[in-house]
Formats: sequence, structure tokens, C-alpha cells
Amino acid sequence: MSETLWAALAEVQDPEMPVNLVDLGVIYDVRRDEKGVVDVDLTFTAMGCPASEFILDDVRERLLREDGVHDVRINVVWNPPWTTARMTQAGRDALEAWGLAV
Amino acid sequence: MPTAAEFEKTIKSGELIESTNEMTPEYLRELKHTLIVSGDTELISAPAYYLAAKKAPSINAFMTGIAIIQDELAHAHIAYHILEELGEDQEKLIFSRDPKSFRYPYAFDVPLDSWTELVVANGMYDQAGFCLLGDIHDKCSYGPWKRGLNKVMAEENFHLRNGRTWMKRISLAGGAAKDELQRAVDWMFPLSVEWFGLPDNLKMHSTQLEYRLKGLTNDQLRQWWLSTVVPYCEQIGINVPAHKETQDGKDVYVLDYPFPCEFDAAEKRWDFKQPITWDDVLARWRARGPRNAEMVAMFQEEFHKFRKTHRNGN
Repeated sequence: MSETLWAALAEVQDPEMPVNLVDLGVIYDVRRDEKGVVDVDLTFTAMGCPASEFILDDVRERLLREDGVHDVRINVVWNPPWTTARMTQAGRDALEAWGLAV
Repeated sequence: MPTAAEFEKTIKSGELIESTNEMTPEYLRELKHTLIVSGDTELISAPAYYLAAKKAPSINAFMTGIAIIQDELAHAHIAYHILEELGEDQEKLIFSRDPKSFRYPYAFDVPLDSWTELVVANGMYDQAGFCLLGDIHDKCSYGPWKRGLNKVMAEENFHLRNGRTWMKRISLAGGAAKDELQRAVDWMFPLSVEWFGLPDNLKMHSTQLEYRLKGLTNDQLRQWWLSTVVPYCEQIGINVPAHKETQDGKDVYVLDYPFPCEFDAAEKRWDFKQPITWDDVLARWRARGPRNAEMVAMFQEEFHKFRKTHRNGN
């Protein structure tokens, strides 16, 4: 069940860079309870992330489009801290193609 | 250096120019002029936006505003850096030019005094920048600039999003907030329309188009801008003085006021009953607007002060 939620989150693009949130490695966990409430643990690449509000809006909006999802609770976590090591190879390739060294 | 005929052939073939050896002096001059307008526009947007970003309604909004300013400075750097490679002195261009000789759109000289006006600038001025740079990114015959714009385009998207998200939020809030938004759009919309310059029927010949420094005419760019801004404003319940018509089977945006017309910069008010000529507009642009000197001083003064106090350490 959580696989479809991960797939949904892989459709959410970072607002600043051409990479999705899953490949960027900022989604730590996503789970759904029997009442259709989804909990997401996510972090940002920097504490002063200028796109944080947009990311939260996009995550909420995308998950609410999943069948049976009635509510989304987002927990912003800072532990473990994000580093480039959390990116997938696909994310790394996307950013390198775009001209960013990772 | 290529002969005029060889150069014309290269331009017509669609190939990219990669170095000064491949340019005629006329092309180099026109390329530099286009880059200066681009660099100056990005650079001046930083103080213009900063003076308004200080009025952000939350820490988070302020961070977004500041991040946008950082992007704009980086975009300016791309243009000035290329100018340096083409033989100009970047430091002189930025820090030693007279404020009035900066070549950016007049709109930035009219003070942005609130967060609301800043987000309308992100929604409208950055959209104008997006159209102009998007066209250059798409069509420019000078390779280094075309490639340098890859990242710029993605970042401009982020600025647009900030503008649009906040415009919608403020409009939905209604009441005095929405009135303030409408007032901002009322003076900023026509300034953005003017941004694209003389209409095609008055500007018959464009060297920039001939050299493929850009691909679209002023009116085509203006239509592109209108086709994004007008529907968005209508969708969020904000009035704009333009509407869509079908002409010869094609959608065209038509302005509901005489273009160009009289603008009172101190009052931030257009007089739609007072048409003027393009000579009048060009005279207003050349004289520059209220905030020109203040904004240029913001980055020039400290530079020279620092130079004086650190003469030995540098």
C-alpha cells in the first residue's frame, strides 16, 4: 500500500531543481492508517529552504489525489540530516545533467 | 574574423557562434548591447526586490524573497561574466557607471513598497524576464549564453511560482488585502506591457533578430506575456485592462487602453484618457524613474568605500 504513496511522491518535483522529491532523498517515510490518514516524514536540503512552503503544498496536494486518502499530516524532521548521499543515482544523474555537481 | 558574407552564411545556417574569432564587429557590438540590458535588468532587480522583501509577512516569506534576489544576482553574473570574456571590464560595468546609463526596464525605477507589490513583480516582471530569456535560450546564436540560460530558466520558474502563489493567496483573502493587490496590478500591468518596447509597426528592422540574438519580435513577446498573465489574473479574480479576441482564426490579446499612455510615477497612476507618443515614452525611459539613483548607489557606494578602507589589504 505504501508503494503507491511512494510512487505518488516520486511525481512531486522539487520547485527549484529538475528532480523529484524521492530521488532527491528528502522523503524519509510515508505511511497510511486504516482511516485514510497519511503521515509523511520529510526533511529539506537546508534549514533555510526557500521552497519549503511550496514543497509542503505540493506533497499534500499530490497525496490527497490518491484513492482513499482523506488527510495528510506532514512531519518535518531534521534527523538524520539530509546530505547528497541520500540522493538516488537517478537524482544524481538528473542534477549533473543540469549542471550541478553532486 | 569572418567576412560579412561568411558570417551571414553561418547565421543563416543555424550554427552557433562560440568565440569572438567567429564574429563580425557589428555582431559583437549587438551581442554586448543585448547582454548589458540582460545583466543590468537582473542586477537592478536585486535592490528593487530587496527594498520590498524587507516587508515580508513571515520569516519563511522573507527567505523566499531573499533566495529570489540571490538567483537574480547569479543571473546578472552570467551576463557580466560573458561580457568580460568579450573584452569588457565587469567591475567598471557594475561599479563605475553612471546610474542613468544602466539599461534596464523603466518598471524597476518605480518603487516596490510592499510585499504585495513584490509578489506582483514576481508574477509579472519575472514573467516578462521569462519570455525574453526563454526566447534567447531557445534561439540565441551565441552558444555560451544559450547554454548559460539553462539554469536561469528553471530558477525564473520558481520566482513566477512565488508571485502566482501569493497573488492567489492575497486575492482569496479578499477585503483590503485584495484591494491592495488590485491597485498594484493596476499600475504594474501596463508597465510590464511597455517592457517589451516599441510595437512592430514602428520598429521595422531589428538587428537582434537578424543576428538571431533573439527569435521573437517585440509584439510576439508581448503577446506571449499577455497569454500567460491575463488568464491567470482572470482566474484569481483580479481585473486587467486586456482581453482575448479571435482575429483571423487566431487568439490575440487586445489592450483596453491606448498604448502608450501617460504615467505618473510619483502617484503610480496611469491616465488611460491621455494617449502619448512613443517619443514621450522614450524620453521618460531616458530620464529614468524615481528609484534609479538610490538603487544603483546601494551596490556602488559600499564597493568604493571598501576599496578605500582596504586599499592595502587587497
